[in-house]
This record gives sequence, structure tokens and C-alpha cells, in this order.
Amino acid sequence: MGTENKTITPKRESLFSKKNRKLLKDPLGDSNPITIQVLGICSALAITVQLQQAVIMSLSVLFVMIGGNVIVSLLRNLIPDRIRIIVQLVIIASLVIIVDEVLKAYQPDISEKLSVFVGLIITNCIIMGRLEAFALANKPGPSVFDAIGNGMGYAWVLLVVSIVREIFGSGAISLPGMGQVKFLPQDWFISSGGFYENNNLMILPPMALVVVGIIIWIQRSRNEALIED
Amino acid sequence: MAMNKNATGYTFLFSIVMVLLVGTALAFTSLSLKPLQKQNEADKKMVDILGAIGITTTRENAKNDFPTFVKERLSIDSEGNVLNITSGDVDSKDASDPFNLDVKKDYRSKKPASELSFPLYKCENEGESIYVIPVAGSGLWGPIWGFVALKSDMNTIYGAKFDHKTETPGLGAEIKDDFFSDKFQGKQLRDAAPYFTIEKGGRETDIHSVDGITGGTITSVGVGEMMNRTLSIYQLYFNSVINAQANNNGY
Amino acid sequence: MEYFNIFVKGIFVENMIFAYFLGMCSYLAVSKTVKTANGLGLAVIFVLGITVPINYLLENYVLKEGALTWLDPTFATVDLSFLSFIMFIAVIASMVQLVEMIVEKFAPALYGALGIFLPLIAVNCSILGGALFMQERQYPSIGEATTFGLGSGVGWWLAIVAIAAIREKIRYSNVPAPLQGLGITYIITGLMGIAFMSFMGIEI
Repeated sequence: MGTENKTITPKRESLFSKKNRKLLKDPLGDSNPITIQVLGICSALAITVQLQQAVIMSLSVLFVMIGGNVIVSLLRNLIPDRIRIIVQLVIIASLVIIVDEVLKAYQPDISEKLSVFVGLIITNCIIMGRLEAFALANKPGPSVFDAIGNGMGYAWVLLVVSIVREIFGSGAISLPGMGQVKFLPQDWFISSGGFYENNNLMILPPMALVVVGIIIWIQRSRNEALIED
Repeated sequence: MAMNKNATGYTFLFSIVMVLLVGTALAFTSLSLKPLQKQNEADKKMVDILGAIGITTTRENAKNDFPTFVKERLSIDSEGNVLNITSGDVDSKDASDPFNLDVKKDYRSKKPASELSFPLYKCENEGESIYVIPVAGSGLWGPIWGFVALKSDMNTIYGAKFDHKTETPGLGAEIKDDFFSDKFQGKQLRDAAPYFTIEKGGRETDIHSVDGITGGTITSVGVGEMMNRTLSIYQLYFNSVINAQANNNGY
Repeated sequence: MEYFNIFVKGIFVENMIFAYFLGMCSYLAVSKTVKTANGLGLAVIFVLGITVPINYLLENYVLKEGALTWLDPTFATVDLSFLSFIMFIAVIASMVQLVEMIVEKFAPALYGALGIFLPLIAVNCSILGGALFMQERQYPSIGEATTFGLGSGVGWWLAIVAIAAIREKIRYSNVPAPLQGLGITYIITGLMGIAFMSFMGIEI
């Protein structure tokens, strides 16, 4: 993962030697995990059809990232280099499985919503990427900040993509606990005899790529330094 | 540092300790939480069966509501013969109780139908007797399952309820939503296979079909597949019941 | 015929990138030139072809409920499937490391070509995805599982080589500056995904 990131963001090393505030702020903008570091794309595509799913996924990833970063950071002097990738994967996977098992026993309804994402969280390279790039070389304190920063940076892109896709794809917005709220009166939709037709293309996964592409476009037009040559 | 953390011996020691710790932690959580999870699953199954016949209930009340509406629990073999009839409260430890037959597991085991037995729930709601059939199959990512309720003519669909483990949220996952299962109400089965068809999302449908979920084609196809496969087995039982009724009326 | 069907399905109909969007991270990051893309793609074929059958054996002789009966008939009710995620990941990571060492020792030329990509593969979600699909689809024999692994690998290789070729050419096009590089790659992948959707549901 480390080498992979370096090819994309040669500046990252210097960025992460700065203070904690920067750790929190940078991933939201100039070193965003999805648009700049190219981490955690798979899940961004799979679950951004509805806002509700994006919210649940973001919270789970944030939680697992903080947990994983703290554990790996605490063990960083004990983990042998040669098997570090296995160790990190095992830590992430067991963390996710234990959380899921506990929820399944005590909060079956939440677990049902979450269990869809269990596999996606484990394979989410954003978690792995941050463990490898940050937690393995830093104290637990800064690692927590790094996790929160990157988790939030991941979350906002997910939320924006899912809001765009849900508005155009389903003509609605869904929030956890509130269900789907339609923007237009039900009669206006073509399915009930009206004139408004949802753009079904938006629901299909490829459109998530296009929406992320447009976010990158906007972000880089505002900050010329990020433009690749 | 006192020890060399890249030495082969240390690497082995570290992996062994890690495997032991992680294995114990996982096995411990899994085993100690199993009874609670089993109970939750049973409650959910009752909620879903009741959902298929249009009764909305909660996990907490499922245990009490279930015997009120579900009068008999049958198990039949692949020839349509009745093996077991149980009524009253569900006993999760009684292996002969048809409620404890796990169709999802049977489906995954890929055993031939002749080695399996199939559960059937005889329910009563508003004076009407309803047959609820559990179905199980695969969607795009993982298992899907559900319950199909038939009216006493064993041909008209009274209601349905589907669920899934890992279908794509917003696409295939919508099979569990009411708007999808409500489409099945009042539809009829054909006399021969395919008993029922799930069309592509948005297509025209007739009395023997519903349209699937746009963008969730593979999941929708899975719903159709599991319904037809399961119905073909229960059809043998239904035929024998209908024949028996006809004979009774004849005399 | 069944094998051929599984193989072709893995490449086109159920393409890891365009149908399931698995392994996106390395797909986007390592597709700047055809040469490196080709190297990573071959490594993915290789690793999928090895880990899927190993995980198949693990699933059917260790993890699945009743899988341990070959040890002792009394184990018929032992269900270790809660361990499957972690076992699959451990197998993948250790196989990647093992393959790396073997290739380095016995085929230095191949190592030169694949070497730097091998560690990246352990975290490529298409590999774990392959194992999970194998578990879900319950292939009847190890031959079919291996064919599926190889087919998915070839599909992934095809996708990354295709996008790398497009990216090499698009450098001469007049793409708006902020969209250059990553941005346009996302959008092209989206369009390719839509094109590949026309393979959906094809049976051979």
C-alpha cells in the first residue's frame, strides 16, 4: 500500500510530519483518501446509492479505523516487519467480526443493517492504507487524530456522492431512522402517472465513478496545486 | 532493543501468540453469544412468517403472536408426503419441530431434495387459512431467502416477505422492502413450471408475474429461481391435498 | 463446457472491476502505463489462481459445518464458518508472501517483473472477493473453483491493461487540466463499466 500511495502523492511524507490539527484537516481536503490518495474506492461505489447506507458505512469505518490505528500503534514496536500485512489484516478482521457478533446478539436490528458491510469494511483499503502509512510509525495519540481525519475525509465524499445519486436516482433522501423522504409529490413521478422520471443510470454503480470524477474536477479547479501533469 | 523483531524465531513466536489470542477471542465471542444470536434468529423468523401473512409484529412480541396465527407446522418430504405435524409453542431445542428446519442451510448444503424435508406453516388470519412456504436461494453477493404465503386454493399468493444477507443497498437489497413484496399479493401461480416469473425491472406484468428491481436484476432473478424451485416440491403436496378434497366432495 | 463457461463468465460477464468494482484501488493507482499494469495484472491472475483453490480446500475440509468429518465423524456439527473471513485473509496474505519468496529464489527474471506488485496484492479486494464468491457459489469441485479464480484474474488483467492503454493515449488529448490524471480515469472507468453492463446476464 505504501508504495502505491507514494506514486500518487509524493508530498504526503512531509504533510504528515506536521501537527495534529493538520492531521485532522488535511484528509478533508488536500490529501483526501478518496479523491487524492485513491483509497477505499470499492466501498464508495458499492454503498453510495442511498444516503442512509453511506452514513452507516462512514460511522463503521470511522470506528474500525480508530480501533485499528490505536491497536497497531500500540503494537508497532512488537510487530515483525515481514508479516506486518498479515498482522494488520488479522487485527482489522477480528475487530470487525467481534463487533458484528456482539451487535448480532444484543442489537439484532442494527446488526442486520451493518452485516452487509462487514466484508466491505475488512477489505476497505483506506483502513489498511492508514495503518501502513501512519499508525505503524506513530504514537497512539496522533494515530487517533489521523484516523478521525481520514475517516471524516472519507465520509464527506461518500455523503456527497450518495446525496447526488439518491436525489437524481430515486428523487428522495433517506436518513437513518427516518426512512426515505421524497422531494416531489408522489403524483409527479411517472410511476404514478406524473411527468417526472428518475434517472435510473444514477443508481448503477458506474455513475458513482463519474460523480467522484466530477468532485475531483471541482476540487482541483479550486486548488491548482493538486493538478497532475 | 533487547530482541531482534525481524529474527525468524521471533516472527514465528509472534504469529503463534497472535493466532492463539485472536482465535481464542473469536471462538469465545462466537460461542458465548451463540444462544442469544440463535434466539434473535428464531424471533426474526417468526416476525418474517407473520409478515408474509400481513401481520406486523416486533421481535419482543413474536413469541406470543406466533402461535396465535400459525396453527400447525408441517414437514414434508420431496414426494409431498407429510412427515411431521407440530402445533403450540416453538421449542428451539426440539429437532423434530419443523420450525427448526433450516432451509437456508439445506440450500447451501446442495444435498439432493430426496434427502431433505421441507417445512410448511399452516396459518389462520381473519378466518382464512393460509399456507406459508419458506424459500431460500442466492442473490448477487450472498444468500437470499423469504416466505411466500398462499391462500387456501394453493394458487393465489396471499403475501410474501423476502430478505437477504449482503445484496447491494438501494438495488438488490430492496427485495426486503414492502413495495416489492406487496407486488406479489393477489398474483396467481401457473399450473406448471415456471410457476411464477420475475420480469426485469419496469417491464409489463400479468397475473403470473411481477417486475423485479431496476439495477438489481441478478437478485430479482434469484427470487424467481428460489420460488420456482421450492414451489415445484410443495406442488406435489398441494396436489395430494386438492385431490383429497375433491374425493371428499365427491362422496 | 462448464469450465469454459465459468472462465468466460469470469472475464466478461462477472468482471471483477466492471461488474463488482473490486480491486479498484490498485486498478486506479497502478494503471499509468501498460507495462506496469500488465505486470500487476499477471500477478493478480497468478495469486487468484493459487488462493481460490487453497481457500476452497479450507472451506470444504475445515470451515464449513460438517467439513471436519474426515477427521472424525463426531465433528459433524462443528461449524467454524465464523473464522472464514480471517482464515481467507490469512491464507491470501501468507500465500502472497510465500509466492514472493519462491519467485525471488527460483525465477529472478519473473520476480523482476512482478516483484514490486506482489505485496500490493494482499490488500487487493478482488482477491478476498474471489474467495468470498467461491464460498458463496459452492462450486462442486476444486477444478471449477480454480477455473473461476483464473477467469476472474484474467478479467481483472484485461480491465487494468485496457484502462492503462487508454490512459497512455489520453495524454495526447485535450483534457481540462483539473480533470487530468485521476479525474478522467474515474470517468472513463465509469463509461467502461456501463459498456460492460451489456454483458450482464449472458449465458454461454
